[in-house]
Amino acid sequence: MRNALYCVAALATAAPALASGEGGTPSPFAGDIGNALWTLVIFIIVVLVLGKFAWGPILNALKQREDFIHDSLTQAKKDREEAEVKLKEYVDKVEAAHAEATAIVEEGKRDGDALRRKIEETARNEAQTSIERSRREIALATDTAVKELYDLSGKLATDIAARIIKEELDAARHQRLIAESIEDLTKTVKGG
Amino acid sequence: MSFGIPILASGSPLDHVVQHPLKSVPGNVHRLLTPKGEITVMSDQIVMMIVAALLLMLLVPVLIKKRKGRDEIGSMVPTGFANFFEAICQYLRKEVAEPALQEHTDRFIKYIWSAFFFVLTINLLGLLPIAPISALFGTHIGGTATGNIFVTSTLAICTMIMMVFNGLRLGGRQYLAHFCPGPIGLAPLLVLVEVIGLGAKIFALAVRLFANMMAGHVLLAVLVGFILAAGSSMGVGGGLAIAVPVIIGAVAITLLEIFVAFLQAFIFTFLTTLFIGMSVVFHHDDHHEEAHAH
Repeated sequence: MRNALYCVAALATAAPALASGEGGTPSPFAGDIGNALWTLVIFIIVVLVLGKFAWGPILNALKQREDFIHDSLTQAKKDREEAEVKLKEYVDKVEAAHAEATAIVEEGKRDGDALRRKIEETARNEAQTSIERSRREIALATDTAVKELYDLSGKLATDIAARIIKEELDAARHQRLIAESIEDLTKTVKGG
Repeated sequence: MSFGIPILASGSPLDHVVQHPLKSVPGNVHRLLTPKGEITVMSDQIVMMIVAALLLMLLVPVLIKKRKGRDEIGSMVPTGFANFFEAICQYLRKEVAEPALQEHTDRFIKYIWSAFFFVLTINLLGLLPIAPISALFGTHIGGTATGNIFVTSTLAICTMIMMVFNGLRLGGRQYLAHFCPGPIGLAPLLVLVEVIGLGAKIFALAVRLFANMMAGHVLLAVLVGFILAAGSSMGVGGGLAIAVPVIIGAVAITLLEIFVAFLQAFIFTFLTTLFIGMSVVFHHDDHHEEAHAH
C-alpha cells in the first residue's frame, strides 16, 4: 500500500528518479550554453518556418479582410451619400411639382374668378342697356301717345267747333262747350 | 515500484523542475555559461522545445487554412482553429503591436507572433505530466523549457538583437541619439545609464519569464511533496489524509498555471514589442511632447 502511494506520488510529481544522480540541492539556474544554442537554433527555425507558412498567409488574410471591410464601408458610405443626394433631388422634385400644381390650381381659380366677373359685368351691362332701351322705348311710346292725344284732342276740338258752329254760335255756350271738351279730354287722358 | 524511492532521497522540490541532461559533453566556455563544466547536448527540456517547435511548424500552417467557404466572402471567414489563431494574431497586431510599433507593425509582427506562440507552446507543454509517464519507461522527458534561465535569456537576447539591429537599421543616428538624451557634457554618464537600462530591460525580460514558470512548478512540486512527507512520517493513512487537500490545491494551482502560461507568454511578447517600438519609433515622440506643451 505504501509502495502504491509512492507510485501515485511519483507520477504526480514529475519524478526525476533516474536523472537526479548528482546529489545535493540542484540550482534553480541549472542549464548551460547548450540550452542557449538549442533555443537560438529552434527559435530561428520557428520564426523562419512560421513566418513563411503561417504568419505570411495570416497577415495576408488579415490585411485582405481589413481592406475588404474598409472598402465595403467606404462603398456603403458613398452609396448612402449618393442615395441621400438622390432622395433630396426627388423630394425637391416632388415639392416643385406640388408647387406647380398649386400654382396651376390657383391660376385656374383666378381665371375662373376673372371669367365670372367678366360674365357678370357683361350681363349687368346688357341688362342695363336693355333697361335703358326699354326706358327709351317707353318714353318714345309715351311721346307718341301724347302726340296722338294732342292730335286727337285737336281733331276733337275741331269737331266740337264745327258742331258748335253748326248749332248756334252763342259765346257763353261756346265757352262752356270748350270747357266741357277740355274736361272730357282731361278725363280721357287720365282715364286712358 | 523502484522509482518511487529515489524521490524521497532527492528531497528538494527543485529536482522536479530543473532540466535533466540526457547527454552532456565536457566543456568549459565560461563559469557563467558552463557552470558545471559540461555542455548539454540533449535534455528533457530541449526535447520539449523541439516538440513545441514541431507542433507549431506542422499544425499552425494547416490549422490557419480552415475557411468557411471557397468564394470571395467565405475565403475571408476563418472557422474552427483558424479563429483561435486569427483572433490572437489580430489582437496582438492591433492592440499590442500597432500602438508601440506604428508604421513598423507589419515589419515585426511575424517575429512577435512567433515569440508569443513559441513561448506559449513551451509553457503549456510544461504543464503536461509527461515526465512521470516517461519515467515509467526509464527515461526522463518533459519539463518546462521556459523554466530554464538559459532559454529565457536567449529569447530575451533575441529581443535585444531585434532592438539594437533594427534601431540602427531604421533609426541610425536617431537611435544612437537616444543613448544620450541630455547635454553632450553628460554623455559618458548618460550613455552608461542608457546601456545599463538596455541590459536591465533584457535581464528583466529573461528573469520574469523564467521565475514565473519556475515558481509555479516549484509550488506544485512542494505541494505534492507534502504527501510524501506525510506518508513517510505519519504512515499511509496520514499520507492519504494529506493527499486530499493537497490534490485539490494542486488542481487549483495547475489551473492558475494555465492562466500564467498564457499571461507570461503575453507579457514576454508585449514587452518585446514595447522595447522594439522604443528602438524604432522616433518621430511620434516629438508630436506627443508638442501636444503636451500646448
